[in-house]
Amino acid sequence: MDGVYYEKGWLGVVFTLMVAGFILLNIYRARKTSGKLFIRRIPGLNAIDDSIGRATEMGKPVLMVPGIGTLNAISVQALQIFAYVTKTAAKFANPIRLCCLDPAVYTVAQEIIRDVYQTEGVPENYDPDSVRFISDRQFAFAAGVSGIILRERTAAAFLMGEFFAESLILAETLNSIGAIQVACSTEITQTPFFVAACDYVLIGDEFYAASAYLSRQPVLVGSLVGQDWSKLAIAATILLGALVNSADGLKRVPDEAKPGETRVLKADEKMITNLFSPKKPEWKPAGGTQ
Amino acid sequence: MIPWLAQAPAEPALNMWNAPAGTPEIWIKVGIAMLAGFGLLAALIAAPTRLRRPISAAFIFVAGLFWVLVFLFPKPIDSQTPHDQRPSGFVQNVSFWLADAIPVVSNFSNILTAFILGLGVFSLMRIHLMRVAKKQTDWPFSIVLLVSMVAMATFGYWDWKTRLDLGGAKVDEAWPLAAYGKDLLFDGMLQVMEAAMFSLIAFFILSAAYRAFRIRSVEATILLCAALIAMLNLMGAVVVTWDGMIESFGKDNAFLMNFTLSSVAGFIRDNLQTPGIRAIDFGIGLGALAMGLRLWLSLERVGGN
Repeated sequence: MDGVYYEKGWLGVVFTLMVAGFILLNIYRARKTSGKLFIRRIPGLNAIDDSIGRATEMGKPVLMVPGIGTLNAISVQALQIFAYVTKTAAKFANPIRLCCLDPAVYTVAQEIIRDVYQTEGVPENYDPDSVRFISDRQFAFAAGVSGIILRERTAAAFLMGEFFAESLILAETLNSIGAIQVACSTEITQTPFFVAACDYVLIGDEFYAASAYLSRQPVLVGSLVGQDWSKLAIAATILLGALVNSADGLKRVPDEAKPGETRVLKADEKMITNLFSPKKPEWKPAGGTQ
Repeated sequence: MIPWLAQAPAEPALNMWNAPAGTPEIWIKVGIAMLAGFGLLAALIAAPTRLRRPISAAFIFVAGLFWVLVFLFPKPIDSQTPHDQRPSGFVQNVSFWLADAIPVVSNFSNILTAFILGLGVFSLMRIHLMRVAKKQTDWPFSIVLLVSMVAMATFGYWDWKTRLDLGGAKVDEAWPLAAYGKDLLFDGMLQVMEAAMFSLIAFFILSAAYRAFRIRSVEATILLCAALIAMLNLMGAVVVTWDGMIESFGKDNAFLMNFTLSSVAGFIRDNLQTPGIRAIDFGIGLGALAMGLRLWLSLERVGGN
């Protein structure tokens, strides 16, 4: 590559492609079997229907917050789950409140919720004010949503997506009025707060499994099984890596600093390090080589 | 000159995506971009409903393909390398072309977001103006919100314009009404109120921790013990006392030294917490990858479908 390019770690790229291959292969398999692949039970998701049922009995709205991230895979996933929640709420003519921080998420959410009401055959029940843009400032948003929680006494709440410091403010405010909370954050630092404050918490990739679990769409089920295959591949790689690294740790090479003596391999000389994150060579412009 | 056009990087970073400010070349490129944008919008509006999804899917695929190529294609070491010093060849040219395009493509989403922000503001105005008009519950708060929003936008823009015309240093010296108003609203009120909201977390942590750490089940008890060890390990006096006590039993006893507070906390952190976090991170990363793949290939059906 004549010195301008550096080796980015081909193994990482190949591994990513393999994961993508697993997912696409299982989507194909699931389509062939009409989504009849096994998915384990997720208690937090079973609670969704119970929460909406409780809100219906109390005649109070269901609150949904898709986090404070921008429009990305996480917020779209959250909206996917909220589409299911809204579908159930629409069946019982239960009011909903979907609060957004990002205007792009707000726009997409509005379309999705309107679509759900139309598909359920009750477009007249759709209230444009049920999907709200609150503020694009984190704590102004937290204050606004807390205000809605306290004023409207929401009976059930779904906090799903990218949450940061506002997670505990929302969860505790909901707890103070006795609302059932089902929560999940892709931010690992916020998960403990949700575990401490909420009734049901989806941890890590359970968030991504939710839509497959709820809708049983073959594409989503297949994708989920592909993720599980990938997890097995990652676990096998970690195990193999640990063994190879341990074997490298036993090797001794001649010590350049002390002639005649040997030393153990440095971290960046080990095989696994070089496979996944090789050193970036020096770039010398104007015809220089690496 | 429209401000964002003036932000095009200066030489030697000029490339096919930008041009020197004020030259006919930049205006031609702006014209082509605008024509393409409006053309796409018009095509989407004019297309029959059944064709809209394939058109969107095609554009999503092309947009996604760009980032896939950025990830997979060999990287140029320094995209700021002057043109005459860049190596030639297909692979090299494509890699530099991709690297040059990243800031331009990233700006697309920023511009779209700026348009969409208007929709958000419209939503807020509609809800609160309606509330005021119908005198619904707590309508005076809606007036406060509307007045605050208009005031913040007015003073923010006025201050920005003043600083642009006079220069930041002169504004700080003269301190006109625009600067005073913006400072009062932004630093004097908004920041302070946000800090107040943030500080509430301290109290919420206490109440949440009280509920979580009650001994109700085996899991809650394990949580309590781990949290107690982590917290005590951050208290110097406790660490010194406990570790000193362990050392007094026998400093040379390697087995006993495993029970110093810092060793136990370190064990929990390195052998339980970190692997757990890594495992969750792997799951989240895989989920995001699968979701991205489904969106890119338009396999995802969101909504009532």
